[in-house]
Amino acid sequence: MATKCMHVFDRLLLWFATCWKKNSTLTGRRKFHKDVEKEDFQYSTTQCLSSYYSVFVVRLAIMVMLAILIGLLTILTWHFTKIYTTKSLNSLAYDLRYELLQRPILRMWNILNSTAEITTAQVKLSEYVIRSHGNLATQAEQVEMYESMRAVTWALFASRKALNSITVKYRNGFVQAFHRDLKDNNIFYIYTDLSYHETNSFAAHEDTHSNKSAIWYREQLDPVNGEKIGKAMKIAPEDSISIAGLSQVPDGVASWHVSVGKFTDSPLLSAALPVWDSSNKSIVAVVGVTTALYSVGQLMKELVDKHSGHMYLTSQEGYLLATSTNDPLLTNSTKKPKLKMAVDCDNEVIREGAMWLKKTYENNFPPSHEVHEENARLGHQQYYIDSFFLILKKLPLVGVIIIPRKHIMGQADERAFKTLVILISASLCIIVIGCVCILILTNGVSKEMNLRAELISHLEARRKAEASSNYKSQFLANMSHELRTPMAAVIGLLDILLSDDRLTNEQCATVTQIRKCSTALLHLLNNILDISKVESGKLVLEEAEFDFGRELEGLVDMFSVQCINHNVEIILDLSDDMPKLVRGDSARVVQIFANLINNSIKFTLSGHIILRGWCENPNSYGDSENFTLEQKPFGCSRKTKMKQHENHSKKASNIDNKMILWFEVDDTGCGIDPSKWDSVFESFEQADLSTTRLHGGTGLGLCIVRSLVNKMGGEIKIVKKEGPGTLMRLYMQLTAPVDATEQHCQVDFANNNLMVLLALHGNMSRLITSKWLQKNGVLTMEASEWNGLTQILKELFEAKTSTHNNDFDTHFPAPEGLNSKFISIQELPNPTFVIVVDIDLLDLSTDIWKEQLNFLHKYYARAKFVWLQNHDSSNTVKTELRKKGHILTVNKPLYKAKMIHILEDVIKERNVEVQKKNMKEDDLHESLEIEYTHHCDVASSDGSDISEIGSSNLVTANGEKQREEVVRINPSSLYQKSNCLLGLSNGYMEHKEAFISTRAKGEDSKGGETSRVSGSSKAMNGKKSLEGLRILLAEDTAVIQRVATIMLEKMGATVVAVGDGQQAVDALNGMPGVERNTITSQTEILSFPSYDLILMDCQMPKMDGYEATKEIRKSEIGTSFHIPIVALTAHAMSCDEAKCLEVGMDAYLTKPIDFKLMESTILSLTKRETLTS
Amino acid sequence: MDHLHRKLRDHEAAMFQQGYLDDQFSQLQKLQDDTSPDFVIEVMTMFFDDSEKLLNNMSRALEQVPVNFKQIDAHAHQQKGSSASVGAARVKNVCGTFRNFCEAQNLEGCVRCLQQLQQEYSLLKNNLKYLFKLQQEIKTAGRSIHTRG
Repeated sequence: MATKCMHVFDRLLLWFATCWKKNSTLTGRRKFHKDVEKEDFQYSTTQCLSSYYSVFVVRLAIMVMLAILIGLLTILTWHFTKIYTTKSLNSLAYDLRYELLQRPILRMWNILNSTAEITTAQVKLSEYVIRSHGNLATQAEQVEMYESMRAVTWALFASRKALNSITVKYRNGFVQAFHRDLKDNNIFYIYTDLSYHETNSFAAHEDTHSNKSAIWYREQLDPVNGEKIGKAMKIAPEDSISIAGLSQVPDGVASWHVSVGKFTDSPLLSAALPVWDSSNKSIVAVVGVTTALYSVGQLMKELVDKHSGHMYLTSQEGYLLATSTNDPLLTNSTKKPKLKMAVDCDNEVIREGAMWLKKTYENNFPPSHEVHEENARLGHQQYYIDSFFLILKKLPLVGVIIIPRKHIMGQADERAFKTLVILISASLCIIVIGCVCILILTNGVSKEMNLRAELISHLEARRKAEASSNYKSQFLANMSHELRTPMAAVIGLLDILLSDDRLTNEQCATVTQIRKCSTALLHLLNNILDISKVESGKLVLEEAEFDFGRELEGLVDMFSVQCINHNVEIILDLSDDMPKLVRGDSARVVQIFANLINNSIKFTLSGHIILRGWCENPNSYGDSENFTLEQKPFGCSRKTKMKQHENHSKKASNIDNKMILWFEVDDTGCGIDPSKWDSVFESFEQADLSTTRLHGGTGLGLCIVRSLVNKMGGEIKIVKKEGPGTLMRLYMQLTAPVDATEQHCQVDFANNNLMVLLALHGNMSRLITSKWLQKNGVLTMEASEWNGLTQILKELFEAKTSTHNNDFDTHFPAPEGLNSKFISIQELPNPTFVIVVDIDLLDLSTDIWKEQLNFLHKYYARAKFVWLQNHDSSNTVKTELRKKGHILTVNKPLYKAKMIHILEDVIKERNVEVQKKNMKEDDLHESLEIEYTHHCDVASSDGSDISEIGSSNLVTANGEKQREEVVRINPSSLYQKSNCLLGLSNGYMEHKEAFISTRAKGEDSKGGETSRVSGSSKAMNGKKSLEGLRILLAEDTAVIQRVATIMLEKMGATVVAVGDGQQAVDALNGMPGVERNTITSQTEILSFPSYDLILMDCQMPKMDGYEATKEIRKSEIGTSFHIPIVALTAHAMSCDEAKCLEVGMDAYLTKPIDFKLMESTILSLTKRETLTS
Repeated sequence: MDHLHRKLRDHEAAMFQQGYLDDQFSQLQKLQDDTSPDFVIEVMTMFFDDSEKLLNNMSRALEQVPVNFKQIDAHAHQQKGSSASVGAARVKNVCGTFRNFCEAQNLEGCVRCLQQLQQEYSLLKNNLKYLFKLQQEIKTAGRSIHTRG
């Protein structure tokens, strides 16, 4: 049963749980459908479910326990209240009933007793009277005795009012009786005829009733004194009262019985006693006394009146003797009245009670005849029925009392019922309320628990997410670092491999390709590292002073190479108010712009890229506004922008020394869709996904830029621009050093009477430069092509000399602006013309350029020519230019700083010339020296490539600061210069590979160059690459000497081999040593006095390579010669390199001699020779 | 003739494989052409003469008391240079070790190295002699030599 219940309960729970689950799932969905991952969500719901389940169980358990508790309490309360009261009441009721019954019984007893006493007293008196009359011989005596008997009996009778009658029946049949009629309270004296008695004395003795002849007389007596008041009346014997005769005392013992009197309607108790004679031998007379039981009934009535209920007294046979009712006790038959049975009683209750008793017990009464029944149902009511047995001699009596239960227990029962009802209802109420309370309480608790569980799961989820993000960043940072190290190793090893010249051309190309890829990969890794660094917050910006302009210029120079290849103009346009020195993280700043420009280049196929910069402070507004307004159609947009940012800038500029620098990177590329303007700054986001295939890239660049800009307290965004392309505008906050109050190195060119003719190919750069120059008070003219240039030149110079100005104009109608300029130029006193010519203006595809140069050369004396050359401008042109004395060359692109340099140099030179004129013949050489050293300073301190401007030196060295940081040496005429530059370049690049071989410089620098070099060497292979070169070989080991000689000869060189350093020196200075040695080394004797190159073994007997080199260099001092010396060494250590360089060698080769490496080295050192020759 | 050719090729390949010779040797072979038909043999003969002289010098120098390590080092260096130039890789390597011992002034090591050097040298010499012999045989058979198939 219990298990079954459990099953059902479990089912119920399950069902409930599923319901709850559904519910919770729904609410959960509603709440968290947004971003919560499904997994987490399910996790939370399962947790919720379990919590719901447990809450539900707990709730139920608490309710059940409450119900049980309250139920128990109720039952107990009810039980105790009811049981105890019932018990006590019952006992009380029992006592009461007992008492009640006892009293009528006692009365009965009294009656019996008194009856017995009277009877006894009568007997005793009768005995006395009879004895005193001894022998009744005569009638008189007899009468006398009877008279006295009558008096005695009367006395007794009168004394006892309760007596119904006293009868004395003599032996002879004479009867004397006093009878009291209770109805009318009359007392009668009844006697029989005396004579009769005398005669029939013995017959009567036999049978009284047979004595029919006896006459009965009745006299009414005065109840007080017993005097006769009435006449004696004869009465029929049947009307007389019952007279106790001898028959009633057959054994001479007193007897009792209940009789029914004619005159009373109640049963009578009659006692009979014999009167013995003096000898006690015979019975003389019989005395009978009857007492009515009426008083018992009376008492019962009284009692019942008081206590309600019914009582009755029966004989053992069941005849009613007395009841508490007024119902007749006798059957009213016409004959003699008879006693009624209790079951026949007229009273309903008594009858039913008797019947119940009879039915219950039949005749098997318990021995004591006592019955106590508490719940006997009689009719419609419950009654207590109790019977008592009263044992009298010869007259046993049974008393029964019937009391309605209501009378005794009514209140209690009612109370108990009411209490029960109240208790049950109260407990029900409590249970209901309790359940509701529990429900509410647990609901709250469960809600709280749910919330807590949700919260916990959310916290957990968030913690996990954060941790994973953290892990990701850390992982990236670590991994990038770990990846970078091997990548660096790979690149380093590739460099070593590249420097090894045993590789074939194909291998070399492959390795170069690998190196490129590795560099790209490393770049990518760096990007990722940067991103993760920024994301993980580890990026700390440096605070160091740096020259902003120079950094950007370097950057532009760097990218210009790429731009020229792409046919894109790159222009740097910094306003004059830009501070020269700022504090910040230069590397990061450069990175920002490098990324931006790189990005622009990637997407710009033609047109220009402009990097604009200006400083935001209130003073500069006017200037830059004008500047830009004039300059650009979209200047106005910038102006409005500035206004927008004015507030912001004001705030920012209040902070000490903080300044806001604004920049724009403007390109004419494909542009970015406006909807993507924000998203391109996210990581791994690219505006157009298809571009990945075309341009590559990871989409990290702009993200890094934004992170860095934000880190510097700035912002970057894409701004709408007119025309195609993208305009990125950013600002950053940088600190200006306190001491740098004068930041702008303003050069005043206005008063120098300068006139600049810009003959540039690129429209934008020309425009910007000329604007800037004009702003600074320099007259400018522009030409975009060769024809324009010639036109202006002619006009400028020839118009000046010729008076036919107008004629010229008619032939070559110049624009209006030009004319006004010409006029203003003519007004200039003693103007200095600076003509900046883009080398691209020359027609380099054919040989026309030479003529063009010659044309320009005509004006050489009258104007300063500045040549803008590309990084890949051919050497022939450069050489030609140099030959003609055009030594002012600048690498593209042209920007402010370069322009300033040019102008300064021009001014300086002019001053020098003026001086020269003044001082007549001055030592030109000295001044040149000065110029040169000045310039060296500039170059080395700059670190960038403002190279060889304005100095009258003969050398142009273009240190191109490229990504690979390889300096390309422009072979030029004088050895001294190149030597110096080698030293210089050595200073530039601090890694030793720079000098491993000179060839490396040529080949490492760029793919194009490499191919050209190899191509040239290949081309020369056909006719022997070293044809015509005279090489001195100083080597002591015969084997090596032989091998090297053969190698060189194979390449077409003429070799003179010597055995030691001393011989080498001798061979160089004079011929004797050589002659001596040529015999031994079996080489042809050379008639040429000089050598193009020396291959010098380092370790030789007599004089080693170092010593010999020192000797040679020493002898060269004072001459313009510089013979290239290449060391041959078996050491491959850096100290040896250093030593080689120190003593003045130009390059070195390691043993064993590599054929190709040697070839290229010799070629690179002697190339200029072949070129110039 | 094919037999001889194969033998030559096999032998040469074996020498390369065992590290007696390296690329430098093949470069020398490339340098040999009609203008200098016996170039390799010539150089090698020079190398042998040179080496024997140097080895003798070194063994003599090692016997001297006190040992002049510097001189031995110079010899070893020279030997290293020449062996590197002809592509005698193993000899070159031993020379390198020799020089290290010299720098450390380790007499015992030097002696051991010298023995090793002599052994390597003689091995190389024998092998090369055999190689040249083969070449000569082929040559005398009137065939041009294609050293590297």
